[in-house]
Amino acid sequence: MIEIRDVSRIYRRGADEVHALEHVSLHVDRGRFVALMGPSGSGKSTLLNLVAGLDRPSSGTVEVAGQRLNDLSEDELARFRARHVGFVFQFFNLIPVLDARSNVELPLLLTKLGKAECRARADMALQVVGLGERAHHKPAELSGGEQQRVAIARAIVSDPEIVVADEPTGDLDAKNAVEILGLLRDLCREFQKTVVMVTHDPRGETFVDEIHHLDKGVLQDSAPGKGAA
Amino acid sequence: MPLPLRYPLGNLVVRRTRTLLTVSVIALVVVATTLFGSLISSLKRTLISTGNPRNLIVLRKGSTNDGSSGLTLEAFQAVRFFEGVGRDEAGQPLASPELVVQPFFRTPSGGRENVLVRGVEAVALKVHDDVHIVEGRMFEPSQSEAIVGRGVSGRYVGAKVGDTLEFGRGRWKVVGLFESHGSSFESEVWVDVRELANDAKRPLPYSGFRLRAADGADLEALIRRIGGDPRWALEASRETDYYAKQAESANTLYFIVAGLALLAGIGATFGATNTLYAAVQSRRAEIGTLRALGFSQAAILVSFLIESLAIAVAGLVIGAAVAAGLGRLVSHLLGGIGFGAATFTTSVIELRVGPTDLVGAALLALTIGVFGGLAPALRAARMRPIEALRKA
Amino acid sequence: MKFLPFIWRQLVRNRLRTALTAGAIALAVALVCLLLTMPAGMNAMLKNLASNTRIVVHNKAGITYQLPYSYIQKIRAMPGVVGAASWTWYGGAFEIEKGVTFPNFAVEPDAAGVVWQDYKIDPQQLESFRRHRNGALVGRGTLRTQHWKIGDQVALRGTAWPVDLSFEIVGEIPNDRSPVFWLQREYLDQALRAAGRPALDSLGIIWVRVDDASRVEPLMREIDDTFRNSEAQTASETEQSYFKNFFSMLQGFVTVILIVTGLVALCIVFIAANTASMAVRERLGEIAVLKALGFSRRLIFATLLAEAVLLSTLGGALGALTAFGLTQALHGASGWNPALGPLGGFVVSEAILVQGLFLALFVGMISGVVPAFGAARRSVAATLREVF
Repeated sequence: MIEIRDVSRIYRRGADEVHALEHVSLHVDRGRFVALMGPSGSGKSTLLNLVAGLDRPSSGTVEVAGQRLNDLSEDELARFRARHVGFVFQFFNLIPVLDARSNVELPLLLTKLGKAECRARADMALQVVGLGERAHHKPAELSGGEQQRVAIARAIVSDPEIVVADEPTGDLDAKNAVEILGLLRDLCREFQKTVVMVTHDPRGETFVDEIHHLDKGVLQDSAPGKGAA
Repeated sequence: MPLPLRYPLGNLVVRRTRTLLTVSVIALVVVATTLFGSLISSLKRTLISTGNPRNLIVLRKGSTNDGSSGLTLEAFQAVRFFEGVGRDEAGQPLASPELVVQPFFRTPSGGRENVLVRGVEAVALKVHDDVHIVEGRMFEPSQSEAIVGRGVSGRYVGAKVGDTLEFGRGRWKVVGLFESHGSSFESEVWVDVRELANDAKRPLPYSGFRLRAADGADLEALIRRIGGDPRWALEASRETDYYAKQAESANTLYFIVAGLALLAGIGATFGATNTLYAAVQSRRAEIGTLRALGFSQAAILVSFLIESLAIAVAGLVIGAAVAAGLGRLVSHLLGGIGFGAATFTTSVIELRVGPTDLVGAALLALTIGVFGGLAPALRAARMRPIEALRKA
Repeated sequence: MKFLPFIWRQLVRNRLRTALTAGAIALAVALVCLLLTMPAGMNAMLKNLASNTRIVVHNKAGITYQLPYSYIQKIRAMPGVVGAASWTWYGGAFEIEKGVTFPNFAVEPDAAGVVWQDYKIDPQQLESFRRHRNGALVGRGTLRTQHWKIGDQVALRGTAWPVDLSFEIVGEIPNDRSPVFWLQREYLDQALRAAGRPALDSLGIIWVRVDDASRVEPLMREIDDTFRNSEAQTASETEQSYFKNFFSMLQGFVTVILIVTGLVALCIVFIAANTASMAVRERLGEIAVLKALGFSRRLIFATLLAEAVLLSTLGGALGALTAFGLTQALHGASGWNPALGPLGGFVVSEAILVQGLFLALFVGMISGVVPAFGAARRSVAATLREVF
């Protein structure tokens, strides 16, 4: 599903050159729950961005869901993301002026589906994450955990192969964190999605199939997680 | 303790785009209202500056206008010797008989305007002693010569000293140029009264006369005497009153300026309020910190009001400068603005932004600044330190 | 468009800001509409009152110079002339302190009906005008300003002629833009003779109705040629040309009005642009998320632009309505204002409303472009780096 070969990413911040990733290679099979871990500045978010098609490498190749992402233009990457990738961020996930259902419907606006169909799918996704009755609530009226669940519903509503999560539990308390991690794992098991998660949270180890450690832009080691079936 | 000036002013510089846009709005409003307002004030100024307080204008009773009145020779011969009318060194009465006619003049662009041509005798220069010939000389009678006012010169074909003007039924050689402190006389052309009467084939030789009152004479008494004379239906009034009345018609135009200022001012105020609210919102944490540190509500309020006023002042300064420049440019390009639906002749106004116009603009800008900034400043001042420090 | 609810929601997220911006734009548009009524008033007069088969014949030296009355008889005999009527300035003042506040002329009633057929004056009123020596036909513009109605007795003081006259208003010229007051020439003539003055043997200007528009040019030349060597030379021009020349006096004033209008329009751009840039700046994180979800740059640009345009258009609609309402209120005060002349009829026409609306739309587009473009162009990853 995901094939990263000898990828480096260098970018400019002001006058400096930052080597975010150095010759990283990674392979992820379909249906796996993967964690990218490491200290701040290790490059894990950069790697996540490359997997998600949010960014292009400076060198090396990135192949996701059978597509070479290097060669795609900005617009083509956007289309790729719309079709193949779901997102869960740490902050700023949801649009504050839209209610839960409308937030979940957002990715569907990019498809050719009719209004009724979009609504039906959104409701279904909310059911999956257990928030069926909260469809009309705005993000301000939902707890942190509930907001993340809506984000997950949005991430799966257009049925992408991959779900990318950047510190999904970073802002949550213990109980909610565990719930979210469990939900993400269910996405793999029940819906055969490939989930790639960047996290600091040690609890994540008990849920994921594999863990990859990064430091200073280099892949240090990989290990199976305790959630491996 | 108040916040240092660097705080509000520094914030304005940081948020450059927003500040610049709001300053521009205020500047534009200032330019628009100042330009319009100065147009009207220029008109008023021209009319009001015309007229000598010691002069009387005598017209046929009921005429409100130089051009629509007609008087006989006998009337003139009698009135000029009334007591109270001043005399010159030779003992001749300072009474100027005049005939006003409004022929077509052609502009260089092919347009056509009515211009006030005043037929006068030499005594006119003594009665209208504010009128000075600055170039060339006074015309000689019966020579088909003319002198032109500063506003006329160059505005029409053949209107320069040395050229020949064509109007009425004849051709007139321009032999002199006169000025009179920017009054409406400068929009006139003066010729020999007898020649003009001949050219215009008027039934009556004069349309009115101007009298200079003798030193110490009672003007009111003279006015009453002239008006009360049963032989002719005459009406006399002070020259200054006569022109002031014409200036009154410009008063309705002030309504338009006021309306413009009101609507534009409110719009600009809304714009300023928007900007300030956004500034307050984005600086919540900052404000909370300042309050926590011990700065009072009043200090915060004042600081934000200063921001608002600074924007307004910047807008005022830029707007005033642009208005003054634009006014000069327009004046230069159009060569004076023609006004004249009322009197049926063209008064050439030089558009000038005067001190009163600027005072009006300043008031407008400051009002925008204060009202625009008040509500957001109050919101900032009322923020509780804890709320402001919480994550947005 | 299915994105409309999404765009709408963005506008109402900060109701105060949306309201303030819409309000500011509304005021600016209202102002523009009101200002545009001035030059439009001139053009409307031209369109409404001028006919392409009417010629004006006046003394070559100027409008205020008279012509001998015999001229009109000669002109009536020329081929192609359907009718000719004269206007002689009476210059009557209704309220002497205010002077002459509307143009009033002595005309020949019989000829008037023919020469101004297109004004569609009620034939009975025309008949009344013919029969009543002291009858007056008044344009609706002046009727309105003076609050007169048909049947009123009106007295005017002569300022140009040494006689005062009193009239009965027997009819109207059914056109809002018409300010004229017509009296009978015979009436003025009789009054002058009764006051011991010479009879009225001159006239001001002659209006000639031609049977066909193609005859206008040749007839004008014929008229001017006929009187070329006479005491008073004539200059004939079409009615349109006459009005245009009349208006050219006001040209400078109109120029300033247009400049001011332009400035106000620029204001709208800045106000809308300010709001758009503020809105975008606050939503950079959100926009990044949308881009992550797959919203293309073009789509982001389009929705942001649509937001700006929607806001401006709403403001514009509000402004146009306000202008319309204001002119209804001002209507009592409008009409032939001595200072402004034809510029004083503050009537906001549909054309002006549409212009105002389009201005708002156009302005919304211009103002939204830069912030929308900037937001769309930002690289997602860079934004995510900065924001998260």
